[in-house]
Amino acid sequence: MNSISTDYHIRSIELTDMLPEVFVNESIPHSEVWLTHLKFERGRHYLIEAPSGGGKSSLMAYIYGVRTDYKGMLQFNGRDARDLKMEQWQLLRRRHLAYLPQELDLFPELTCIENIRLKNDLTSHVDEARIDSWLERLGIAGRRNTPAGRMSIGQQQRLAIIRALCMPFDFILLDEPVSHLDSTNNRIAAEIIAEEATRLGAGVISTSVGNPLLLHSAINVRL
Amino acid sequence: MNLISKLLRKNTSPARLVGFLVSNLIGLAIIGAGLQFYLDARSIWQKEDSFLKSDYLAINKIIDASHTLGNASAGFTPQEIADLEGQPWVKRVGTFSRAGFNVHAAVALDTPGGGRSMSTAMFFEAVPDDFLDIPGGDFSWEEGATDVPIIISKDYLALYNFGFASAAGLPRLSESLISGLPLRLDLTSDDGKHRIQMVGHVAGYSNRFNTILVPENFLQRMNAILAAGPQGEDEAPSRLIVDVSSPGDAAITPWLAERGWEVAGDKSASSATYLLKVVTGIVMAVGCVITLLSVLILVLSMSLLMEKNRRRLHSLLMLGYGVSVVARPYWRITACIGAGAGVLSIVAVLLLRSYYLPPLEGMGAHPSGLWLTLLLIVALTLMVILLNSLSVTRRVRSAWR
Repeated sequence: MNSISTDYHIRSIELTDMLPEVFVNESIPHSEVWLTHLKFERGRHYLIEAPSGGGKSSLMAYIYGVRTDYKGMLQFNGRDARDLKMEQWQLLRRRHLAYLPQELDLFPELTCIENIRLKNDLTSHVDEARIDSWLERLGIAGRRNTPAGRMSIGQQQRLAIIRALCMPFDFILLDEPVSHLDSTNNRIAAEIIAEEATRLGAGVISTSVGNPLLLHSAINVRL
Repeated sequence: MNLISKLLRKNTSPARLVGFLVSNLIGLAIIGAGLQFYLDARSIWQKEDSFLKSDYLAINKIIDASHTLGNASAGFTPQEIADLEGQPWVKRVGTFSRAGFNVHAAVALDTPGGGRSMSTAMFFEAVPDDFLDIPGGDFSWEEGATDVPIIISKDYLALYNFGFASAAGLPRLSESLISGLPLRLDLTSDDGKHRIQMVGHVAGYSNRFNTILVPENFLQRMNAILAAGPQGEDEAPSRLIVDVSSPGDAAITPWLAERGWEVAGDKSASSATYLLKVVTGIVMAVGCVITLLSVLILVLSMSLLMEKNRRRLHSLLMLGYGVSVVARPYWRITACIGAGAGVLSIVAVLLLRSYYLPPLEGMGAHPSGLWLTLLLIVALTLMVILLNSLSVTRRVRSAWR
């Protein structure tokens, strides 16, 4: 980014006439995301609800720079995301954009704590005590030294949430973060995410297909 | 080992890496040994005529009955010289100038049982100074000096020692002895009216020119005083000295033969040097091919390894790790194995050299230094490492999306 300075922040993420290329020749139902103008602002919480196949994961991947197969324009602070170079994306991923992909993307051969450290070593953002307290609250402290591949999918989801929080961020992108969690763990996860976002003044963008993250006072967006 | 290395070294195949190490080692050792052998062996043929570059040829016309009995000229016409200068293997051409006066040389020998002196009629020739390369100005003459340096053919000394001296019961003379002896030179004009006395000393011996050379300015000065007519202008030069790009050039011999010309002196040295160059070239080319193939093995095995780890690479880049951090474990493997092969190949070259050097020295070779070979191996090793590192970086970047 144009920021090596530490006070750079992504204040807004704007979508203008965006549409996944795969939808171009299809008639799509009315959407508050595609083919319109939508602005996500830092400090606010958004819940994006859509049926399966509506392009939620695509939207998250576009914003995180993993994919570029879309029409229209995506902007950070008014700057076209297509102009960003690889190194700039890497910087965003260390300082400004946190991401929990739907497929979690954990390293199954590394233990629970190693997976977390892999991210935290890069950012040096969270101390061990806070990591321990998150593990405790989410009920996976006992799995600390278990290889991620041997944890249940619900436990892996909680681990991935903690890992996503191990960086300073302006926005956190959560793709169906609680799809395998019961309502208790959903509520705890939402609390932790909201705490961290509030502490950082960050925005939260979370998607779901019917089991939304239990965030208070979130803006609902229909895909 | 940090977490990144722990993740990315999964699927490493030691067998493939050892395969690269061995093949790269063989390739580099062949190149290094080939070059070192060439450097060591060429001195066998190059030690003669240290004052003349080996790339000079003396050319004359073959003397036959038409030159002796008829009036065919044994000299080169300006047209013929221009023709020679136009050949692609010729860098420059100089002419031999000859003395237009008589030379008589005498040497006093202090032998046991009384002094004896020998004298002989002889002749002088000269070539342009820039064809000779004698350090320290040993072969130069200054106006007014009575001392003249002379280069004589080694064959003359051999003729004297093994032919004349043994038949006449005279002592044999070594090169160094002759060099230390002053020659009394009597230079007289053809009509006998002018006479100059000089002292000559032998400054060197030549295997390649069957002549007696003096500095060019000396010959010009003496010709001006003693010669009847202007030398070199009315008479075509009968011998040429030619600076060629490569004495072993296959085009030279047939071109000369076609015109009835020949190269004077010993030609086997230049042919042997040429042959040595060709054989070295072939050996080094084989070494290069093996090295290239080994580089290919490393590139392919690293690519395979990274392809197997592609998902891990992608996930690390997704977490925000920089390309250089992700590529580092692979760079390290590449550098370690490349450097290992380089070091081992140097050891191999030294071992090979210790086997071939004693017989080579027996043949009269002066071993050359090792630095050129070491430099080449280091340069090639760095190149191998660099090529592989670039390929690794490209692979990492390709795993980004």
